[in-house]
Amino acid sequence: MSLTRRLVLGAAAGTLAVPYVVRAQAETFRIGALNPITGAGSPYGTGMQRMIQAAVEAINSAGGVNGRRIEVFAEDTQTSPQAAVLAAKKLIEVNRVRAILGTWSSGVSLAVIPLTNEADILLMHTSGAPALSTPPANAKNLGYRYQATNDRFGRAFAEIAVREGFRRPATMAFNNASGIGNTDGFRRAWAAKGNQNGEHVVYEPNQPSYRAELLRVLSTRPDVIVMGSFLPDTTIILREWFQTGTPVKWIIPAWAANPQLVQALGPAVTNGIIAVDSVSNEGAEAFTAYDAAYRRAMNQPGASNVYAAMTWDMANTLALAIEQAKSFETAAINAAIRRVANPPGEAVSAFAAGKAAIAAGRKINYEGASSVLDFDEFGDVTPDFGVFFIENGQFNRRYVVKI
Amino acid sequence: MFGALLVAGIVHGLIIGLAALAVTLVFGIARFPNAAAGDTMTAGAYAGLLAHQASGSLALAGGAAVAASGAVSLLGYLLVFRPLARRPVASLLVAAIGVAFVIRAVLGLIFGHQQQVFQVPLAWPIEFMGLRIPPMDLTLAAVAACALAAAFGVLHLTSIGRQMRAVADDPDLARVSGIRPLRVMVALWLLAGAAAGIAGLMLGVKTVVSPEMGWEGLLTAFAAAILGGIGSPAGAVLAGLLLGIAQEVSTPYVGFTYKIALAFVVMLAVLLVRPRGLLGRVEGVR
Repeated sequence: MSLTRRLVLGAAAGTLAVPYVVRAQAETFRIGALNPITGAGSPYGTGMQRMIQAAVEAINSAGGVNGRRIEVFAEDTQTSPQAAVLAAKKLIEVNRVRAILGTWSSGVSLAVIPLTNEADILLMHTSGAPALSTPPANAKNLGYRYQATNDRFGRAFAEIAVREGFRRPATMAFNNASGIGNTDGFRRAWAAKGNQNGEHVVYEPNQPSYRAELLRVLSTRPDVIVMGSFLPDTTIILREWFQTGTPVKWIIPAWAANPQLVQALGPAVTNGIIAVDSVSNEGAEAFTAYDAAYRRAMNQPGASNVYAAMTWDMANTLALAIEQAKSFETAAINAAIRRVANPPGEAVSAFAAGKAAIAAGRKINYEGASSVLDFDEFGDVTPDFGVFFIENGQFNRRYVVKI
Repeated sequence: MFGALLVAGIVHGLIIGLAALAVTLVFGIARFPNAAAGDTMTAGAYAGLLAHQASGSLALAGGAAVAASGAVSLLGYLLVFRPLARRPVASLLVAAIGVAFVIRAVLGLIFGHQQQVFQVPLAWPIEFMGLRIPPMDLTLAAVAACALAAAFGVLHLTSIGRQMRAVADDPDLARVSGIRPLRVMVALWLLAGAAAGIAGLMLGVKTVVSPEMGWEGLLTAFAAAILGGIGSPAGAVLAGLLLGIAQEVSTPYVGFTYKIALAFVVMLAVLLVRPRGLLGRVEGVR
């Protein structure tokens, strides 16, 4: 049978004649996966996006939410607020998504959240900037953070500095909300312990050299430098530091001090660096499921991308909240998120089990792959922090810090 | 401290100067702001990276960077800028931005967006008259000096260089005098590409190689080209050095956040006193 114009038109007209109910079943709940595929977040972005898609696939094969399938529209933030705003506008205005999941860096989330607030939809992100907890950014309480705040990271850094016996810490921060959030959190916590803060330098991105910044910090003879930084700038700074021949220790967030940093600089330069990251909820059942999905999609262990575990949890908490709310309205879904994620309740680790429990009228508590995922009044979670020492190019987790 | 900042500023300035040279050559002869110069740099950096990984030699990496950037630059001319010649400047500028996007996207597709680095040996600084200079800075400065000497040699000592300067001076008069424009344009785009390639290689060795690196440095290169006097190769290099040194040496006074702004304040101040730039000429309106 050949496809003629008449046939196509006839078929289209026929579709219109199908009763409303049948067409409504094809309607989907649309969400946006807005992740850092390129730019500074690129080591994590693809995995984050794949895990949203993988979680949604599992949700849809368990019958979807309230009888609707979830449909994912994927976009790239380029780890740049400008590009992210354009992508978010497209997701909201063209694709008409009802939630945006997985913005990574603080600059991007801070730029996108006014748009999601305006459109009255949810934003689930992995950014650290403290400003995302409170008004104006989170004025409508539609923002959920699956990562520790930079302030919490800073507090963890201070715990580590005390434990390691450092006395004269200096701080260096990339000039954005995340970088400065880390060092401010550290300096506050350090001062609160009755200690004296050292030199503090805020530096600009995309510089061919950070020697001036380094010389200023090193001239105060610190015993440790605490960083609020990202991968490219950390690479340049550490390489220049090593060439000055000045001994000093480093405490660096793990999104900057990661295996790629070791690959770039070699084991000699990176030896002894203390890398700090929130740890995934590795003993949990949800993590096992996530890990299997991540290995299938990315051919790497799930533990190599803590942010992908967070986006996996985003899709699951959102779907459970819709199921709990029995509604597709933002206000109802928003009200249900803490109800399905926080205690008390029956601990569940997957959407299908949670859906069954909700249908049976039981209160559930989703225990995630990224953390136990209990949201405070600001929509923030408090994961634990893993303290990794880089030794001969290996990341050895020595201990876990709770704050 | 001042000495160390000066050294860092000179190396930074040489990178800006080479990129500005690529911009100003095109501006002087093809007469439009080539927004693809930054991404031509990036292409050079990746070619250098590949050659360096394969051979471990910085000299070979330099050769590969020059060859690749020259080829990319020439290809841009033959496929895009030549068919658009004598269109308004705005069309050419927009076309150049398009070419820049294409280069960046192709590099991103081939090499991915994760950062890559030159595995150069790290060494402690050399003490010289109380000044601590990293050996890599000396190597890079030498590379830049050779590249600049070669570029100015071509411009001032060869017949094709003379022809290029003649076209820059007055394209119609040059044509009447029997200068073949195609040959000149091919030489121009090769030379501009080569300068960008060396700048990309230097930036890549000092920092990290990523598809966005050149685009992010483009604004400073344009600033240097304008400050030096548009179309003046020597001015572009001088202005690049000035901007690089001003940024680094100013940091003890203005802090690190404002050092980039300071470079542009220097540019504005010079242009207010000397609107044609450092070494530029006053041009009549045709």
